[in-house]
This record gives sequence, structure tokens and C-alpha cells, in this order.
Amino acid sequence: MKRFILFGLLLLAGALAAPAQRGLKEIPNPDVKAQEAGFKLPAGAKINLFAADPQITKPIHMNWDGQGRLWVVGSPLYPHIKPGEEETDRLYVLEDTNGDGVANKASEFAADLHIPTAVLPGDGGVYVANSTEVIFLRDNDGDGKSDERKIVLSGFGTEDTHHLLHTFRWGPAGHLWMNQSIYIHSHVETPYGVRRLLGGGMWHFRPETGRLEVFMKGLVNSWGHVLDEWGQSFMTDGAGGDGINYVFPRFVGVTSPRASRVLRGLNPGQPKHCGLEIVTGRHVPKDWVGTLLAPDFRGHRINRFRLTYKGGSYISTKIEDLVSSTHRAFRPIDVKMGPDGAIYIADWYNPIIQHGEVDFRDARRDHTHGRIWRISFPERPLVQRPEIVKAQSAGLVSLLDSPEGLTRTRAAVELRQREAKEIMPALEKWYVSLKEDQALQKLRAIWGSQAVGAFQRSWAEDLVSGSNPKARAGALRALYYTAGEEKTSRALLEKAVEDPNPQVRLWAVSVLAQLPWPDTVTLALRALEKEGVDKYLDFALWSICREHASRWLPVAQERNPFRHTWQLFFAGRALKQPVGISHVLKSLAEGEFETEAQLDEVISWIANVGEANHLEVLFSIALADGAPKSRQIRVLRGLRDAVRLRKQRPAGRLGRLNRFLERGNGAVFAEAAALAGMWKLEEAREPLEKAFLGPETVSSTAALEGLRALGGAKTKQFFSTTARNVGMEFGKRLRAVVGQTRLDPKAGAELAVSLLQGARRAEDVQVVVDAFLVNKNGPSALAEVLERPGSAMKPSMALVGLNHAGSSANKSEALIEAFRKAGSLKPMKLKLSSAEMEAMMLRVAAEGSAARGEQAYRRAGMQCIVCHAIGGAGGIIGPDLVSIGASAPVDYLIESMLEPSKKIKEGYHTAVVTTQEGDVVAGAIARQDDTEIVVRDAKGMEIRVPKKEVATTSVSPVSLMPMGLTAQLREDEFVDLIRFLSELGKEGPYKTTAQRFVRAWEVLQPHGRTRDAIGHYGKKIFTENIESYQWTPLVTRVNGTVPGEELPRVVGRGKERYGVARFRLQVNEAARISFKLSGKLSDLTVFVDGTEMKGSREGVSDVIELSRKKGTCTVTVVGLLGGGMEEFSVELLGNPGVIEVAQ
Amino acid sequence: MKASCYLIFAVVLSASAPLLPAAPFAFRSDDRVALVGNTVVERAQRFGHVETLLNLAAGAEVKGLTFRNIGWSGDSVFGDARSYFGAPKEGRDRLQRVVKEVKPTVLLVCYGTNAAMTAKKGWTDDPAGAARSKAGDEESLSLFVETYGKLLDLIVGGAGTELREVVLISPPPLENLGHPLPDQSANNARLAIYRDAIRDLAGARGHRFLDLFQRMGGNKLKAGEQSRGPLTINGVHYGEAGYVLIGESLVGGLGLTLSGNLSANDSSVVALRKSIMEKNRLFFHRWRPSNETYLFLFRKHEQGNNAKEIPMFDPLIEKEEQSVESLRAGVFSKL
Repeated sequence: MKRFILFGLLLLAGALAAPAQRGLKEIPNPDVKAQEAGFKLPAGAKINLFAADPQITKPIHMNWDGQGRLWVVGSPLYPHIKPGEEETDRLYVLEDTNGDGVANKASEFAADLHIPTAVLPGDGGVYVANSTEVIFLRDNDGDGKSDERKIVLSGFGTEDTHHLLHTFRWGPAGHLWMNQSIYIHSHVETPYGVRRLLGGGMWHFRPETGRLEVFMKGLVNSWGHVLDEWGQSFMTDGAGGDGINYVFPRFVGVTSPRASRVLRGLNPGQPKHCGLEIVTGRHVPKDWVGTLLAPDFRGHRINRFRLTYKGGSYISTKIEDLVSSTHRAFRPIDVKMGPDGAIYIADWYNPIIQHGEVDFRDARRDHTHGRIWRISFPERPLVQRPEIVKAQSAGLVSLLDSPEGLTRTRAAVELRQREAKEIMPALEKWYVSLKEDQALQKLRAIWGSQAVGAFQRSWAEDLVSGSNPKARAGALRALYYTAGEEKTSRALLEKAVEDPNPQVRLWAVSVLAQLPWPDTVTLALRALEKEGVDKYLDFALWSICREHASRWLPVAQERNPFRHTWQLFFAGRALKQPVGISHVLKSLAEGEFETEAQLDEVISWIANVGEANHLEVLFSIALADGAPKSRQIRVLRGLRDAVRLRKQRPAGRLGRLNRFLERGNGAVFAEAAALAGMWKLEEAREPLEKAFLGPETVSSTAALEGLRALGGAKTKQFFSTTARNVGMEFGKRLRAVVGQTRLDPKAGAELAVSLLQGARRAEDVQVVVDAFLVNKNGPSALAEVLERPGSAMKPSMALVGLNHAGSSANKSEALIEAFRKAGSLKPMKLKLSSAEMEAMMLRVAAEGSAARGEQAYRRAGMQCIVCHAIGGAGGIIGPDLVSIGASAPVDYLIESMLEPSKKIKEGYHTAVVTTQEGDVVAGAIARQDDTEIVVRDAKGMEIRVPKKEVATTSVSPVSLMPMGLTAQLREDEFVDLIRFLSELGKEGPYKTTAQRFVRAWEVLQPHGRTRDAIGHYGKKIFTENIESYQWTPLVTRVNGTVPGEELPRVVGRGKERYGVARFRLQVNEAARISFKLSGKLSDLTVFVDGTEMKGSREGVSDVIELSRKKGTCTVTVVGLLGGGMEEFSVELLGNPGVIEVAQ
Repeated sequence: MKASCYLIFAVVLSASAPLLPAAPFAFRSDDRVALVGNTVVERAQRFGHVETLLNLAAGAEVKGLTFRNIGWSGDSVFGDARSYFGAPKEGRDRLQRVVKEVKPTVLLVCYGTNAAMTAKKGWTDDPAGAARSKAGDEESLSLFVETYGKLLDLIVGGAGTELREVVLISPPPLENLGHPLPDQSANNARLAIYRDAIRDLAGARGHRFLDLFQRMGGNKLKAGEQSRGPLTINGVHYGEAGYVLIGESLVGGLGLTLSGNLSANDSSVVALRKSIMEKNRLFFHRWRPSNETYLFLFRKHEQGNNAKEIPMFDPLIEKEEQSVESLRAGVFSKL
């Protein structure tokens, strides 16, 4: 079999015609007709060209003004100005004066900009994000060109030009919102002092007061923000992949520097988006109103989401796309509702996306094209363009209640320019005319008063007392903006923190966080006393406990300032300090913490912060007769963290731990063994050595950990003797080498080579090499011994070692070279010349099969699925690949497979933490705070490192993706795999659809009992809760199907073999629920919990319907294998708010 | 662009004698002037007046005078704004490196607004200063003075042997623009205290001190009273006319005078100022380029090959500087 290592040579034999301009052949036809031909639209919708190059080029962002003109910034200079180039990026104004849906007037308002990334008309001019500055441009002489330029704000970072300040938007109260992305560090002076935002986040700006504040932090590329009808904020992320994110003040999302806690979005596994708009108005079909439009620029489409409000939080469901295209240069990066009620799209137009991974001067970066598209519904009437700037007071006020969001916003912006005394009579007249149930209109009136600069606080306070929870939350948000500046009603907030709706409580807490009151935290934590504390409220409370620590902490040293002990526990835990710990331990003894989950939280908090006497209480919990195993494990693990991270041990006699070591197996043993080592408990040595040499591999490995931590001369002697004992079982000798290496890499190396020479399995080599790679001196120690004569290894095993060493963050050229010599390996050909690359790309296009490629992708040995997800199903270590094919050029994919470290996606760089003892921990920084760094390693494990022990942290140039994965592929398989990746996200079968397939399953491994028991129970046996059943994860193919061939063959009667797969279904409210089973139905049986279900036939599918109460249930599908049952799928139907796959 | 309206050569400044040690200040041929500070310094380059006025006040006999504006918005004496992914120390190191590369003979430094305005809320993220910068007025001030001294040690020490003059400049005063902008009288009074401390620091270190604060109005802001004829856009940041006055005040504060009879609107002066602004634009792309993450930092393995373009701005800057020199000579020839 030809292995991939050789393929460089094979390629050279092929006829190569093309020169070095690789990939340029794929450049799509820029003709507008060609692009028009590629669009796919929902029924009733029509797309037309509104404006195009050469009228406009490279549009990045756009917004409408009050006169119905579209302002667009474009940047041919992007991504980086060349020496000698002028700053000549443009601000265009486009106008459709005759209402035919096509711009018939276009002008350049400014032509002296430098990579402008946002534009927002208002205040008699236009705000522009111009690299480090926000500038304001105005046309004073009416010639349609800017003749005044003012710096409004300065000090925004430019560390990456696709992260620059962006996404300007006016909110309903006439405030300006702005975002920045992950690499940007901004330091901006305001009349209130300097404001700093390091990393991504959103700014809130009121130009008239000069107040600029950070609203939320985090997200990778937060390129979309919209405020919904009730004034709540939602954001998208161009690199985060959580779809829609609900955000609020002090929200912290992924990648925010030094964040010790982050919140996730509403749609894990969704494509990444640039832009966000909410559909409003009378022109679009009724059921479109309120849905969100999120351009998936990688996938050449605009996704649509429907939000379902669920008691203060949201469920976001992907529904049918707004538009998709087969044209590879269609790059929608902004979408806005227009003044005629139609939908407008800024098309950056480029065959490749333009992240920093692609060379700044790559010839495929398009610098000349760009389009604005318009989507309308020809059978529905357009909206009459409103008269905003010329409207008299009453008319302008009435526009605040327009069905079109754009009109409402532009009316608010117009109010910014008007005198309050002129507007307020009309606004008051409208407000008093509103009826009790017109809460939305009241909120709009409140926003109007804010926009005109005459905020009616009493209106907002009245609304907070109203019956509509969305309005109560919205009114509190209106109060939030000036909470620190004006007097706030205490009675109002006391009531609001105990509101039945968690979102209202969230906003009450957010207002409290702005106030100088001494008891903000004691008030805020009352929010915990009501039912339904969701993750957002929990986060806001955690945040205020920390931010206002100085207000409650001194009191808590004396007494419990809160109503209940568990509130004190909540606050102490938020601070990671042992505050009120004796109160909590007393309550623990009195049984105030009832559930196992509460108990778990208390245990882990005390383990994190407790002193010796507190830990003693914990230890006694584990030692208590009848303590469940899970609790024992939790305590022992906590005690281990306490000694490892803080050098704290229980006050009493530690030898009591031996109780758990006597039985010599199980998870409790493993925890106890590790703990004994950390405690340096000499009396545990004997049981540990016994277990190390015992028959159970799991216990032996656990004992290894214990002995290693115990350390000392005796341990070294034991490892050395064991490793040299040729009569000993190979696995035990291997473990002894690992132990010795962890204690002393040099001594380990002396033992390692003879075992590496005897190794027959890749895992064995990896285990040994790993032990060296986790120490900064390890690789050189092993290399030195391997270099000696007589160290020859089997080539295949040396290759494993080489690949492993090569893809480590602790990379050592010496060790790689040593393995090469030991295995007499020829240098690996991983880098392709441009001619070879060209030929490979042609082969991918001509011969590659995506279907076969998907099989290769799913192959266990490839490990793709372990690290990457496609549409949310799969691993989380690497980027989600849901639309990689649509975004990345084929040469990029090939290169990334061969040289994973060459280009690394932002947010996926490997951090390397080296401790003072020389341990090397590599992975992604999961979170960190003042006391510790938590690293998520390549296996997905979280490793906590105390800050005190950190010697250095750095960003590794090496990817977590192992090198040499392709070595196990034949050349044709590699071609197929690349083809598969290149199809992901493109229009066709490898694009995930809006259908709600169950993508993450668990499958049953063969089990001894089923053959006999099936006779008695029937297939129901597979749904029984049998403890020794082993269920392993399986994700579906991209098309949502479970492949029969990948199901473990579970034995039934005689020669019958079954595939059994299950998932958990969460039912959020009592309802009639339904799902659809597709496949060869005659061989499929479906159970909900233990009950077999019969569905009604719909073509090749069965629709199963049943009534369920709120809660979770298990759906099990049993398929008879061998009878042509190739695949099946399950799709959830009905309202997404009602059922979802349980996490 | 609004026409600027100063009559540079008609004004004779320096009513009060500047507080100077020993010999009066004078520019010399081939002087390289580096301007260091926060927003007030950074934005000076967008208007060009400060450099234009200093250039002309140097006199016709001084040739080859060049300026490098390395101000950074939002900066503190800890170097907060100049750091990217690291702690503020990275910013200080960067400032030291840039000063060294620029090889100044004259260093004009202006810090203090941020610390004076944010005394109780904290004005630095530096681990050594964050808590003290929040602790209250006195603590904040002593932290500022102490750190300013260390910063000067760092940049003066690293500047090379050519450096012959260091001038500490007090920040310009604040203004009250009325509701809905905040009242700045309390901040301005605090700024007067910072001014005194900067003067004392300059004295202790043997640097010159230039009281820009006093020259532009000083501590005369009253609570609730609006500033007449305001020069700032928001009470803190100066606009076009403000930078004219800043430039004139710097000229006077250095003990220099402008003589002659040419308006700022004269085509020769306008051309000189435009050329200065263009030179500043080019220098900005040189010392503070976009995309540093890819060009120089942890993703340089991806785009580091394009870092070669950055020094290619050097000959362009030099060329523009020749234009500044000849335009300057043109202005003098008209006198």
C-alpha cells in the first residue's frame, strides 16, 4: 500500500502544466450575471442588484440615514496599506430617488480614509471608525462632500485590521453602540477619565455627554449587534461559533483576557457570522418579523434564526436561510433593513475570506469589486418611505411607534438634533394617551425622552411596576444608563430584585452594580431567593459580588450580612475566599444544603479556599460510614486540589486515608492513591506498590500517579527495579519508566530506550514519549540517550515517536532528529512545492470523493472527530469545521493537514505554561484569575496551575493538531479527505441545514447479557438501566444520519446483531411532542424510555408523536444490522422552545 | 477643513519669563525633537500647528530640524496604552525602544491629565500601581510622581548620548462646556496640583519645565460656570484653534519668539503644515503600524514575511522631510 509519506515523490511523476499561480483558476466570474445566477432564495423572495463596482468597492459596513440614503464604507486598502500608498479608502452615499430598488445616485462623501470599518450617519454628519479613531465628518457647504473632520474618540487598537472598531449602531434611545474584536486593546480618554477595553467587547457611547463605557467584554470577532423590540442586545461572532449571543452589562464571553468565568451563546456549533439584523416592518411576510438575519460569509449565505422567549432567557433556532449562493465570491458581511421595507446586503465580494491567515499580498485578495444586493417580496407592497428629517414634532413622535425598526431608530436619531422643549409636549401627549396594556409603546416613549435629552425617569419607574416582564426589564435597562448619575428609587429596586422573572432581576442587579450604595450586594443576592435563577442572572450576581467586594466583605468577617447562609456561600465562592466558612460548615452539619449538587458545590468551594480545620471537616465527610462513592470521590479530589494548589492538608491524622487504599481498585482508590502521593504519606507506600504490581491496569496506573507524587529515593529504586525486571509484564515496566521519567528525566531516559525498542504498539511509544514531553528538560534527556549507538528502533515505532515529539508544544529538534536516526527514517516530505500543490488541487477537484472523504474523516485512527465538531457535534479542541470548505481555499486545507502549525486559527493557539519545577502544561487557556491558570489540554482535560508556581507562559507556534496524521492515509484517501473538507459549508449535501437532526448519540457496546436476556425482554432489554452497559459517543454524518456500519454489533438471538443508539430529550413544558425517524423502517424500532413507539408513516419516515410532561426522557433506536439497514436519522419537529436534545 | 486663523508672526508671546534653568532654550541645526505623552500629544499630529509653530520659532538659521510624535491616546506614565497583549511593562519597553530608535536630541514630555481625572477610579492596570491609583488623591499623586520619574529614567537613560534637552510640560487646562457635558472644575483644580508636582519633579531632576497649564488659562475654572470661547470639543480635548494656542504657548514657554508678518493662512505656511501632516502620517505607519499581531507578534509565522514593508516607509519619510525643509525655507524667504 502506498503511504502518504511518499506522495511528494509520486506527485512529481505527474504532468504539471500550471505555473505557480495556484488556485487562481478557481477565481469565479465577477460578472454580475454570473453572481445573480447562483442565488437561492425562499419562495416569494426576489433579489436584485442595488449598487455595484465601480460605483462602490469593497463595502465593509453600511447604515441608512434619515433621508433614506445608504452610507457605505469601502476599503480597497484592506488588509494593510503599502508603503507609498495614500489613505484613499472611501465613504459612499447611495440613493434610490425613484423607488425602483436600484441606486440611481451615488457619490463619494470622503476619499481620505484608512481601513474604515464602521459608518453611522447622525447628528448632522456621519461617524466613521477610521483605524485608531472615531471621526465625525460633516458637509457644511452642501456639495455632498465632507469638508469638516473632527476626532471624536481616539486610542483604539489596530493589532489586526479585521478586528478594528466596528459594528456601529444607534440604539432605540439614541445611544451609539460600537464593538471591537479579540486582538484590539483600546485606551480612550473621555471627559470622565480614561476607559480601557483589552480584547473584544462592546462600547456604549453617548456623544452629547461624551460618556463612553464598556458594556460587555469578550467574543472573538463580535461583528454583529442588534437590539430587539424590547431593547435587549444580541450579538454574533465571526469566529466564536455560538450563533446568537444574548448579552447584558458586565457579560463576559470567550477569549476576554484574564476572564475567570465566561458565558456562551445560544447556538453552539453554528457557523460564524458577520453582521446581525432583526427583521421588522410591513413589507416582509408576517412570520418573518422578529427573526434574526446573520450573514455566514464563509458559507455564502445569510442564516436566519428565530428567538423564543423562555421566562427571561431565549432559545434560538436556526430556520430557513434568507439567501444562499453557489457563487464562491459572494461574501455577505452586513445586512440591514431598508427604508422601503426590503432587506439590503453588503457583499464584500471575494473568492477567499480575508483573515490574517492568508498572505496580505495574496493575489486572490480582491481589491476592486463589491456589491449591495436587495431582497424584496414582489407580491407584497413596499413600505412608503417615511418623512423623518422634515417631520414636525407630533409627526416625529408618532414615528417612534412605526412598525419598521429603521424608522423608529432614525426618528430617535432625529430627536437627538431637536430641542426637548419643542418635542416633549407631543411626547407627553402620546404617553398619557397610552393604555395599561401598551407596555411596548410606553417603553418607546421612554426611549424617545432619552433620545431628545429629557429622560422621563418616572415613566420608566412606572413601567418597572407594570405587568409585562419584558417591559419591566426594558425599563430597568433605560434606568441603567444614568443610574450612577441620578437618584435611584430604593423601593423600586428592592421589589425588582425579587421579581418573579429572572431577566427583570438581572437588570435590577445591573442597575445596582452602577450605584454607590453600601449594601448593593446584600440587596442583589435577594435575587437568589426566587425560583428560576438562570445562568445570566447567576453570572450578574457573581459579578457584583466581586466588583463590590469591599462593600460586603468587611461585614462578612464579623457576621453574615445576608438573609441566608447559602447567600454568604454564594458570595464567598464568587470571591474564591474563605469568607464565612464556619457559618457554611455549621449549616452543612445542620443539613441546610440538601441536594447532592449543593453539597458538591460546598465541598469544592471549601477544597478551594479552606484551611486545615475546614479540610478536616471535609475529610470526615468522606470517611463517614455510608458516604456514597461519588461524594467520597468529590472530597478526595477536592483535598488533592487543596494540597496541590495551596499546600493545605486536613488538620487530623492523614493515615486514615489508607482505608480507601485497602481494596486496591475502583475510582475511589484512584483518587486516594493520587492524594496519598500528594500528601507524601509514607504509610501508603506499601498498598500503592502492591496495587502497582497487581492485576488491574487501571489501579496500577493510579498507583503510578500516587508513587510518583510520593517520590523520594525509595520510589526511584522501586521504579528502577521494576523497569529492569525483564520477567515483569511489559505494561508494568512501561509504567515504571514513565514514573521514573516524571521524577528524573535523565534516569528515565536510561531505562526508556530498551523499552522503546521492545514496543510493538503505538500507544506504548506515545505513553513513554509523553512522559518526557511534559518536562522542559525531558526531550533533551531522551534525545541524548537515543543518540547513543545501539538505540535502533523499529521504523514504524520511531515514526510514532517522531510525530509525537514534533507536534508537542515542548518541541525539540534534537529529539526529532534522534528518533529519525533510531528508526533510520528519511526526512518526511510534508511541504509541497507550488507545482505539487497545483497538481494536488487539480486532483482534489477531479478525483476527490467527498463521500469517501467523510468516511476517512470519521475513521477512529484519524482522530478528527475527537477534536473537531461539524455543526456542534464532535470535539471542542479544534475549530468547528461546519463551513471550512466555503471559507478556506483548497491549498489552505492541504497545507493545514500537512503542516498543522503553519496557520493557526485565532483562539486556538496553544499556550505553554512552564512551572518552576520544570513541568510543561500545554493547551488552551480555559480561564484564569489572580490565583491560577486553567489549561485545557489536547484531550480536553482541564489542568489547574497555581499562578505562584508558574515560571513562564508563552504562546506556542505549534498547533495542538498532531502532525503526521496523514501518514496513515493512502494518497487517494488524502485527496478524498481534502475534497470532503472543501465541500463543508458549500451549497450542497455537505452544508448543515436548518433541520433539527439529533447529531450527538450514544451507542451501546456489545454486552454479555443481551444474548440471553433478549429472549425474555425482547428489544426492550436495550433500554434497561443496566449499570455495566457501556455507552460511547457517536456523532452523525454531516447530513444527520447515523451510519449502520459504524454501530457496534450487539448480540441478539442466534445470528441477529443489533445496533443500538440513544439520546436524551429535554421537554421544557408539558406538550404534545413529535420527532421523525427516517431509514429502513422495517428494521428499526424506537423506544421512548422503556415504551416502544409506533409512528405514522410519511414517505420514508415515521413521525412519532406523544404527550410528555416537563422533564427529560431517553429515546433509543434499535436497528437490525445486516438486513440492509444502512443508516437512520432522527429529526426533532415542532416548536424548538418545547423540545431540545439534552446537554 | 475649517480655516485656521492664527497670525503667527504678528504675535509676540512670552509675557512672563519662563522658568528655566541656566541657559535659555534654543533649537540647533539637525535637532531631532521627540514628543511623548497621551491624547493631547497624539492628536497634535493631526492638526500640524504645534510642529509648524515650533519649526518656525526655531528660526531660519536652524536647519534640518525634525520632529517625531510618539504620543499615544490614553497613555499613562506606566505606559498602559502602549502595551498590546502584555502588561503595561510591555508598553514602557516599547516606548523606550521607540525613543532609542528615534534618537532625539530634545525630548518634550507631557503626562498627567488621566491621573488627575481618574484619581479615585484608577488610571493604570499595572500590577504595581492599580490599587494605589484608586486609593485617593494623595496616593494617586505620589504614585504618579514616582512613576513619572521611573519612566523618565527609562526613556532618558535609553535615549542615547545625543539627547541634550528634556522638557516636562504640564497638561493644558480643562474647560466647562455646560450640560450635558460634565463640569470639570474639580478635575481642573486637581490638575493644578499635578502641575505643581510636575514642576517639582522637573526641578529635582534638572529638566526644564514648561507650564502649559498656566499659559493656557490655569486653575480658574469655577463650578457651574461655562468657559468662554472654548477651545476644546468636550472639555478635555482640543480642536483646531486649541492646537494653535497650544503651539503658541509651547513657543512662548520655551522662551522663543515669532517675529515677522505672515498669516497661518498664507499659502506657504499652509503648504508647510500639510507637508508636516503628511510626514506624520507616514511616520505613524512606520512606528505604530496596523496588524502588529501578524507582522511582529505571536502570529508572525503567518505574515512576518510582510514585515519587510514597514522599513520601506523610511525613505518616504525622509523624502517628505526634505519637502518640509524646503517649504520652511520658502516661508522664511517671504519674511
